[in-house]
Formats: sequence, C-alpha cells, structure tokens
Amino acid sequence: MDQERDRGQLSISQTLALTVVPERCSGCRTCEIVCAIHNNKVNNPKKARIRVLSLYPQPVIKMPIVCKQCKDPKCMDSCPTDAIYIENGIVKINNNECMGCHACVVSCPFGAIYVHADMDEPIKCELCGGDPQCVKACPKNAIIYVPEHTLGQANRLIDTLKYAHLNEMEYFEHGVKKKLSYAQIETGGLRKDKTKAEQKEGDAAEQ
Amino acid sequence: MMLLSSEGTEGGARIKGGYLGNILHIDLTAGNSYVEEYDEDFALKYIGGRGFGAKIVMDNLKEGVKPLDPENIIVIAPGVLSGLYLPSSGKTSFVSISPLTGIYADSNMGGMFGVEIRQAGYDALVIHGRAKEFSYIWIDDDTIEIRDASKYKGMKSTETERELKEDLRDEAVKVATIGVAGENLVKFACVNSEWSRNAGRTGMGAIFGSKNVKAIAVRGTKDLPVYDMDKLVELSDKAYKSLHEHPMMKFWQEEGLMSVIDYANTLGIIPTHNFSDAHFEDADKINGEVMTTRHKIGDSACYSCPMACGNICLVKSGKYAGTVTEGPEYESAAMLGSNVGINDFSAVLRGNYLCDELGIDTITSGSMVATIIEGYERGLLSLEDVDGIALSWGDDSSIMLMLEKIANRDGIGDVLAEGPYGVIEKFPQLEPIISHVKGMDQSAYDGRVGVTMALAYATSDIGAHHARAWTIAKELEVGADWTLEEKIDLVIYHQTVRPLFDMLGVCRLPWIELGFDENTYADFYAAATGVKVTLDDLLEKSRSLYNLTRAINMRMGVTRADDHPPERTFNDPIKTGPHAGEHMDREFFERMLDIYYERRGWDTGGRPSDEQLRECGALELLNNR
Repeated sequence: MDQERDRGQLSISQTLALTVVPERCSGCRTCEIVCAIHNNKVNNPKKARIRVLSLYPQPVIKMPIVCKQCKDPKCMDSCPTDAIYIENGIVKINNNECMGCHACVVSCPFGAIYVHADMDEPIKCELCGGDPQCVKACPKNAIIYVPEHTLGQANRLIDTLKYAHLNEMEYFEHGVKKKLSYAQIETGGLRKDKTKAEQKEGDAAEQ
Repeated sequence: MMLLSSEGTEGGARIKGGYLGNILHIDLTAGNSYVEEYDEDFALKYIGGRGFGAKIVMDNLKEGVKPLDPENIIVIAPGVLSGLYLPSSGKTSFVSISPLTGIYADSNMGGMFGVEIRQAGYDALVIHGRAKEFSYIWIDDDTIEIRDASKYKGMKSTETERELKEDLRDEAVKVATIGVAGENLVKFACVNSEWSRNAGRTGMGAIFGSKNVKAIAVRGTKDLPVYDMDKLVELSDKAYKSLHEHPMMKFWQEEGLMSVIDYANTLGIIPTHNFSDAHFEDADKINGEVMTTRHKIGDSACYSCPMACGNICLVKSGKYAGTVTEGPEYESAAMLGSNVGINDFSAVLRGNYLCDELGIDTITSGSMVATIIEGYERGLLSLEDVDGIALSWGDDSSIMLMLEKIANRDGIGDVLAEGPYGVIEKFPQLEPIISHVKGMDQSAYDGRVGVTMALAYATSDIGAHHARAWTIAKELEVGADWTLEEKIDLVIYHQTVRPLFDMLGVCRLPWIELGFDENTYADFYAAATGVKVTLDDLLEKSRSLYNLTRAINMRMGVTRADDHPPERTFNDPIKTGPHAGEHMDREFFERMLDIYYERRGWDTGGRPSDEQLRECGALELLNNR
C-alpha cells in the first residue's frame, strides 16, 4: 500500500504539465504581470510568456495562452540554427544560438511564443524552472500545474463543460415546455439595429 | 525617468519611479500632438489620475466656454499605481467639465485602457479642440495619429471595438469608444472600453462626440518604472494572499455587486418606482441568485484584480434570447429594474445591454425613464408628450424603446437626452419628481434613510453620485447611536479617502468590500515612487483635491443653494418597507450642512478658506472673479 503510494508520488514528481481551464479565467491578467516580473524583472505584461486572449460577445471566452512543452515541437523543427532544444521535458531556447528570425513564433500552432520590440530573442515559457509563478498567482485557478497523466482529466472537464453549453435547454414559457439549443442562441437575437441615418433612408425609400 | 527636478531642490530628484513624467496633449483642431514633461512638484502635489485631471481642467478654465465647445478639454488619466503589480490597479479617470451638470466632473472606468496608456509612456492624455472630420485617435507608443472614423459612425460600442481591433490587426489593442448616443451628444453618454467597462456618469461620451472623436485606440509596450520592485512584490504577494483568504472572496467572484440587491432591499434603501419608494416587492426576481443560477456564463475582471466582480450574462429564453451583456452590477440592475418597476431579470439584462451598446449611463437613463413613467401615470404628462406610448411601471417593451429613443434623440428621447435640467426646462411640472443634485441623477441608494447619504449626495462635487461617499451601509450597520458630528465626519472621511483611489488609479472595492487595509496604499506608493509617505500624507492631498474641485464649481456658479439633496428627500416620505414614513427635515438638513461646512473649514456659504484655496492652487481662480 505504502509502496504504491510512493510510486504514485514518484510519478507525480517526474512530469508535471502546465495547462489552462479557460472557463474559469476572468481575464484579469495577473498571470502576465507576475510572469514578466519573475522572468524579466520588469512590470510589463507585454513581456510575459503567458497572455490572455479575450473574445466577446460571440463566443465569450478568455483563454490564457502559454507553451504546452510539446514532445515533438514545431518550433524546434522550424528553427534554422537548432537553438531550440528539450531539457528535462522543457522546451528551451539557447539565446546564444538564436538569430531572432522568429520562425518559431509563426510556426507554433498555438501562438504561444511571443515577441517584444525590446528583445531580439522570442519569449517562451520555460516553466519558471519547475515552479510556475502564474499558477500561484491565478485568483481563479484557471492555470493549473498537474501530473501529465491527469491532463486528460482537465480536458475532459473542459469538454464536458462545453457539451453542457451546447446541449439543448428546456425551459417553460407561459406554462409551455420549450427547447432551445445553444447554437440557436448564438445566431439569433443580436440583429444589427438600424442607425438613425439608415432609418431615414429606409423611410425615404418607402415614400 | 524624464521627470524634471524642481529648481532649488537639494539632493536631486525625489521621485525615483512610478511616474512616467509625460503628459500627451492631442490638439484635434490643429491635428497635432505634443508631449509635456511636468515637474516633480506637480506630481507630488496632485498625485495622479483624478488629481492631475482636476488641476489640468482648472488651469484650462476660460470664461464663457460651454462643456461641448471645442475649447473644453478632456483629461484621461490613469493613476500612478495603474498597471503595477498590486490588487485591482486598472482604474482610469476621465476628467472634464460636464455637459450634464455644467460643472466639474470626473468619471472612471476599470478594465485595461489606462494601463495601456501608461505603457505607451504617458501619465495622462489631454484632448483639446475639435476634429474637422469624424475621427479616431490611434496611439501606438510614440506614434500618434488622428484617423478617419467615418466607417465606424453609428456603430454600437462593442461593434466599434471589434472592428477597430480587426482593422488595426491586433486583438491586444485597447479601445475606448462611444456609442451612437455620444455621437448624438446625449448629455449622459458614456465611454465604453474592453467591451463593457464604462466611464458612465457625467456625460464623458458627449465630450468625445463634441470633439468629433469616436474612439481612442492605444497600444503600449513600455516597462512601467518601479523604484523598489522587491518591496512591491513582497507587499503585493501579501495583499493578494489576504484577499484570497477572505471568507467573502468566493462569493464576490460569483455574485459581485449583484448581491447588493437583496441587501439594499432588506435595508429598505433600493430605488423603487422613480425613488417614490425604497422597497421593491419583486426584488428576489432581479437579484444575484437569479443571475448566477439562470444567466451567468462567465466571469470578468479588470486588470490585476482577484475579485472579478464582472459577470457576463446570457438571456437564454423569451423575447430577449441571445442577449449577451457584461453586468449588470447593482446600480444598473436597480435603476433599470426596481426603479422602473421591471421584475424580469431578462429585461434588466436587455436594458443593460442597450445602455452599453448605445453608450448611455445606466443610472441616469433608468432615472430619466422612471421620471416620465411616473409623470405619465400621475397625469403630469399627456400621451402626446410621451410620443403616444402608454408608459407603465414594468412595461419592458416601452422602456427599451425609450432607451433607444434617448440614444437616437428621437421624440421625447430628445428631451430626456438633455438630462434633468433639460427635462425640467421643457416640463417644469416634473421638477418635484426628478431626483437630482446639481443636474445629475441620484444613484441607487435612497437618501431618505439615515442622514449621511442625503448629505453625501448634496455635497458631492459632481452631483448625486454614490461613489463619492457611500456611507449608508456603515451608518445603518454600526452608526445608529453615533452623534451627528460623527456621522458627518463619516461623510467627510469617505469624500477624502475615495478620491485617493482615483488619484492612485486603483479600485476601491478591495477596501470597502473586503476590508483591505488602506494604509497599504501608502506603502505601495512608496515602493513604486521611492517617496516615503504615510496614508495621512496622501489623504491631505485628496482633501486638497476636494477643495480644488469645490473652487472650480464655485467659479462656475455653485453656491450653498446647490448643496441640497433631491426635493423628494424632503417632501415624499418612503411608502413601504422597514423605513416607511421616513423623510428628511429641511431645517435639520440646513443644520447638518452648517456643521459639515464648519468641519471642512469652509465658511457658511460653502467657500473654502483662503489658506485652503492657496494650498490647492485655486485661490486666484476665486479671487479673480
């Protein structure tokens, strides 16, 4: 029993992965500030390795975007000087080899590598040496650092939450049971209201 | 640091961080811009944000300039702590002379807009003149352009923001925009940013409109200077930790300010039917629980704020299905709910959505619509007066129509768009039922319960706004046995500590709602700037700011007679609820006002002493009359 538990703990300490739960994110960007302060020693979220992308109103989503430390990274493939390498599961950039071509930035399928005018080399998460500051700072637990083998659980949770939104919804109107799907809601309702000028044009055309 | 050290100061610069030292002036008439480097004394005296704004507006005052004239300026000023690593540092003040009230005004918004201005390298923007063509302003760090905005004319707020971001090919650009109401110079038009953060009150959107400006887009990439980063991180880590551990924190993230509906209704201070009552039967149909269980689909927070008081809501069924809006918070839900008799939260959301998208203040809009409903119901207005729409309490269709009419200045909407003064001019019979102070509508806390709220509204420098001094909760909860002097001191304390938050560019909610120690802000200030201060030092500056805005107002004709709560506070007792029958006695109020002036060090006419005026730099302003 104890042995099993030990083995479990051992596997936990071996590989941890940084992942996000966008449904929880409020978009406060505290992660960006602590990242820049910890890694660059400056109060500048524009130098952070993690950024929150906000979309509104269709769909409403706040997505913290950060490197996933891929096993077969596109950024590494695309680097013409082999400046990108993997060390203990963390994808790193050797700044001495980097020539600042930003091929990695555009090749990342998630857009998780950033650039800033002050810096020649790209900005990429290296997990703060195994103690990601954004995870500790997030007030909503939207950024989590979990054993790799539980990654699916987070994704399953996300998917389940999405499914719940996409499913039909039952509701009562004047005592009559009705159904409405999320997809319907997304396309209906938000008609473009006419401006005063358009209204006048329309009126004139009718006359 | 580009701050100029003032002459004769020994030992060089006192300010070693925090401030950027630059104010960006944009002259729309001339079509150019220039950067002003201010000196240390200016920064140390006026701190930043609202303080900078008020001083710049005061220096720009000219005889005979009306609020919507090109000569009136608008200052957009984040605070010295805006954008730094500390809780809720995303506030920005918009300061000008208000078209709604004709006197000094400021309004602030959260979100990220101010942080972006700071990162572009400016402590404040000052916008002068009037653009020849319909324009937007594009600030890309050091590059300033005034660009054609004809494409965006008539667009809703979020639509403009989305289109601008697409056209500028950068989703991270921050945009502050007006809706169609601002273009139409509706006097309580607001400025909208980050989808639904609004500088709502006092009509700042109309100032944008009068300058032919649809929006300001900013991209800032610079570092914010911090004197002692280690100290700031140490203080902030502790601050965040204390907030995270607060027992009410989770509740705040879930319900935010919507929890106040139940609270205000139980206390009997919720605006109901145009402030004729202070208790709403159906409050449980528009409260925080209804929002979280049926409508909430996401959280929203301002920059670096753990509280995430914003709630993104979706109407899932009924005629407003598909409406997505952020909010409402308490003020909007009460003014567009109980105050107009709406007991359907979907309709409240629709109202909030329309106000945001059209760009009008939810509080003044709710008050204006409620006024004509009551006017029509009581026979003070004819059916013809209200465009043939038979208005009644809770009739959401006609209320939504009225909101659109206001924004488009259509029919009766054209009268309502002028705000309380305009409505009274056109319909003098409505004067007794319009709840306003100095031309701005009362916010969603009844002034007849207790005594401090009426005094707070009456003596507020911008008109009847709750955020100037929100004293009612404390008075009702713990102040029942206080002496009158203690209650008056509570109002003065709020009027002193609250401007400080706007001067620093941080939100007051961690302090007022989660009991965050206000002394910490002095430490934050010291860590950021290198200037050692105590909270008392900072409060002295904000006390001075209150004297300064008082001086501006007196210069513009405000007298003791304007320092009065709405007439309704005296004349119409509350009808139902725990405070039924209560109203304010006129003589009692006068006595209270005397004591208030005295404790402020003002004379019986409400004029600050010469020494106070000299200290805040406004003596010449009043003596040159």
